[in-house]
Amino acid sequence: MTEIAHAGIGKAASSYAVWTVADRAGGLLEQHAWLSAGYIVVAMAAILGMIAVLGVVLIYLERKVSAHFQCRLGPMRVGPHGIFQTVADTLKLFLKEDTVPVGADSLLHLLAPFLSVAAVALILCVLPYSPNLQIADVNIGVLFVGAVSGLGVMGILVGGWSSNSKWSLIGAMRGAAQIVSYEVSATLALLVVVLLSGTLSLSGIVQSQEAGWWIWRAPGVGLLAFVMFIISSSAEINRTPFDIAEGESELAAGFHTEYSGLRFAFFFLAEFINMFIVSALAATLFLGGWMPFHIGGLEGFNGVMDLVPPGAWFFAKTAAMIFLFMWFRWTFPRLRIDQLMRLEWKVLLPVGLVNLVVTAAMVLLGLYFFPVG
Amino acid sequence: MTGEKPKRSVRILGGREVPVIVMPRLPGKGPHVARSAISLLKGMRLTGSYFRPSKVVTRQYPENRKTLKLPERFRARLKLIDDAGGHHKCTGCKLCQKACPNDSIRVLTRKGPVTQKNELDRYIWRQDSCIVCNACVQACPFGALEMTGDFESAVYDRRLLIHTLNRYAGPPASVLDQAAEAEREKMMEPRDAYGGPTPMNGQAMPEVPPLLAAPPGDGEGAPSAGKPDNKEGADS
Amino acid sequence: MSVQITTLEELTSPSRAASSSLSIQEYFLNMGPQHPIAHGSLRLLLVLDGEIVREVIPVPGFVHRGIEKMCEHLTCRQIVHLTDRMDYLSALSNNWCLSRTVERAAGIETNERIETVRTIVAELQRVQSHALWWGVLGMDLGALTPFLYAFRDREIISTAFEETIGARLTMNYIQPGGLMFDIHPGFVARVKEVLAHMRPILDEYDALLSGNVILQERLRNVGVLPAEKALAMGCTGPVLRGSGVALDLRKAEPYGVYEKAAFDVVVGTVGDCVRMEEMRQSLGIVEQLIDSIPAGPHMTVKPAAKIKLPAGMHYGQIETPRGILGTLIVSDGKSDKPWRVHFRTPNYNNLWAVTAIAPGCKIADIIAIQASLDLVIPDIDR
Repeated sequence: MTEIAHAGIGKAASSYAVWTVADRAGGLLEQHAWLSAGYIVVAMAAILGMIAVLGVVLIYLERKVSAHFQCRLGPMRVGPHGIFQTVADTLKLFLKEDTVPVGADSLLHLLAPFLSVAAVALILCVLPYSPNLQIADVNIGVLFVGAVSGLGVMGILVGGWSSNSKWSLIGAMRGAAQIVSYEVSATLALLVVVLLSGTLSLSGIVQSQEAGWWIWRAPGVGLLAFVMFIISSSAEINRTPFDIAEGESELAAGFHTEYSGLRFAFFFLAEFINMFIVSALAATLFLGGWMPFHIGGLEGFNGVMDLVPPGAWFFAKTAAMIFLFMWFRWTFPRLRIDQLMRLEWKVLLPVGLVNLVVTAAMVLLGLYFFPVG
Repeated sequence: MTGEKPKRSVRILGGREVPVIVMPRLPGKGPHVARSAISLLKGMRLTGSYFRPSKVVTRQYPENRKTLKLPERFRARLKLIDDAGGHHKCTGCKLCQKACPNDSIRVLTRKGPVTQKNELDRYIWRQDSCIVCNACVQACPFGALEMTGDFESAVYDRRLLIHTLNRYAGPPASVLDQAAEAEREKMMEPRDAYGGPTPMNGQAMPEVPPLLAAPPGDGEGAPSAGKPDNKEGADS
Repeated sequence: MSVQITTLEELTSPSRAASSSLSIQEYFLNMGPQHPIAHGSLRLLLVLDGEIVREVIPVPGFVHRGIEKMCEHLTCRQIVHLTDRMDYLSALSNNWCLSRTVERAAGIETNERIETVRTIVAELQRVQSHALWWGVLGMDLGALTPFLYAFRDREIISTAFEETIGARLTMNYIQPGGLMFDIHPGFVARVKEVLAHMRPILDEYDALLSGNVILQERLRNVGVLPAEKALAMGCTGPVLRGSGVALDLRKAEPYGVYEKAAFDVVVGTVGDCVRMEEMRQSLGIVEQLIDSIPAGPHMTVKPAAKIKLPAGMHYGQIETPRGILGTLIVSDGKSDKPWRVHFRTPNYNNLWAVTAIAPGCKIADIIAIQASLDLVIPDIDR
């Protein structure tokens, strides 16, 4: 447990230091063109760095968390409590032979992992980590996120098809069907928040939660939308109980069976960063993002809550969501593909639509706590 | 499992009454929403309850070697038992060799120079084929063998897995204890741990000479501290 | 009379696939012998139509070690260690089957103490084996945590065995004529620890896996084996009892001290979780026997004595955790080594049940079916 706490605190502390510097610089950039160009370069570096660091930390955390759920310790040897284990694994993956199966479409086979990573990197750009730190504050944030996450499907499909292997193809087909289906109910859950906050922009949504987070502020519908979002996102990121596409116990390794070495590392990394993104989205939309825990008119209470820096709030919420996803993975068995589809189209979709209609009614009648405007 | 309890009843099978418990079927209609959610949460509560350091049951080997204690009957390595005077009890009767299912024991005997009787020359035990079934220990009428729990036997050379278990060639303790001190010296001839003829089972391996003599001392089949290839302290 | 032999080549030839309906294209998929979930090295050839399985062709034999042939060169006491390695999760039951056959053939009497200890360790092994089945069922269906929990609980039983028997997997304990060692002085205390630990754990098992809605949905109406088909294929053990036939050798032809212990045979209607309740019944049996182990020697025959079986065929059977294990020994009466030994292994017949129930299922169901049949591959191949 201590090692998890150390990792979490260390990460939060270092990122907070970075963010406040960028916060102060943020205002200058719109005025000078050359600073903008430099900003783009810095942003790219930051994204790459974030992917790398997050990947390493998340994989280590997954191993430790899963180990403690299973009454064991996890990595303990490489570094104190095994904190350098992922570094060692990454080095190993660098040094592995890069195999391309006979008869595989080599261009697509080469391209597939990068499609997954590209989708993930694009979404990382639009998340609001802190009041002034957001690499690109798109005013159609939610729409952008929903659209780009579809790019991730391309990575799976292309990877599975180009491997020239039956197992990979089956895994890719399943994965594509699953992700495309669950995007529908994920979007319906997102739309609830859009209705409540009145804007598509992610930073706008966070701002609208100043009086309170949507998960409790919109009674009933907020929680239901949150639960639906969690379930749909588990399916989007191919995690148990929805990891039929890469079910280790069924299809060898599904769509990434034929990948090894660095390109397998990219698929792996994309999956974990995807988990981070989905947790960050849940935290942003339902738990207030970087907004501290406020309750409507209680100024004193809100002042106390404001003492904790917003970056820390964001990462704490995201970390809690990540832990929740890991908890799901290590407790539940997986659903079969037809059960998965049935869950989406026969359960989540109707419930999502009804939820949306009820939310619309609530917004019109102002039937929630601390109504906006 | 589903809230229905297994039912007890009686079935007739082959003319005989058999008391049975009939397990309930899962309700055929499909999952019930509230019950499903509760079952999921129950599972999460269980795994959550195990998420603390006090629930870890694994042990960190080799960091815990100093406190590691195996049961006394654990079977890993064959040894000739030494009595108080440091003498073995083997008479060379070869009952263990006959009992061994896969020919992992070869007892070589000689005619003793002093006693003029059959006595043990080399007791060769092949650890690379032994399945530690304990048949040899059970078969020995003199209680000369035991299986110890010394499990750290990994070596880099296969030939080091063919042991000579006796430190001296000679009669058993029962005979030696009755002889005078001077005679005893003449009866015993020292044997080293790895110098036995290799290989066995009727196969000749050309260009494989017997290993050179190990440093004298506790060459009782257990790797001693002086050996470069063996784990230190394996006997501690 | 000519015997029609269908070879694997004929079954998998392209012409056969083409001769089926023109609009459906079936393809072959190999599941195993190297596969993350194969319980050993078993090759399952699946004839698939999209996601639906049309036919399953098991190709066993990858773990064949010639055990029955080896037995022809070993004495009866030396054969015992080979039985350990057939169905290694019920090693003690396998030992018992062979020992019982030899004892009945050679007319060796055992005493109450020996039989009581044999019953206790066999039932503990049944609990251990079913716990592993539970964990592997979870693992095959995607929940990796139950596997670790099952092994943690097996550990406690393994420690009890290690203390008395000296080994954790390849026991070689139940010999013709008795037991290899007398029970350790701490054996009774350890078994009581096991009983105290396992009863609440079984409720935890239900909370985590068997009561979980996802697992129940994965297994509901999947791979139902009708009783007539099960009997026709010679399935035994929990597979048969799950189909509703209450055949348990411990009640039908009692051996050991099972007549003294009161327990129920667990049956299902469509094969639901018979093994979970069997674990509880086994714990009950051990509880009844552990406090009253009679005194006496642990071996009625000297280890060095030659056991010669009279000429003829001798057969004995035992209810192992997976079904009925039978040992056939053909002896020529002259030497102490058998002329021929054959093991009627439960997993061999249970394996072919897959061919009867698989057609019409999906690939994911094949895995669920295999996991619920609880196969141990070395037992199939010997």
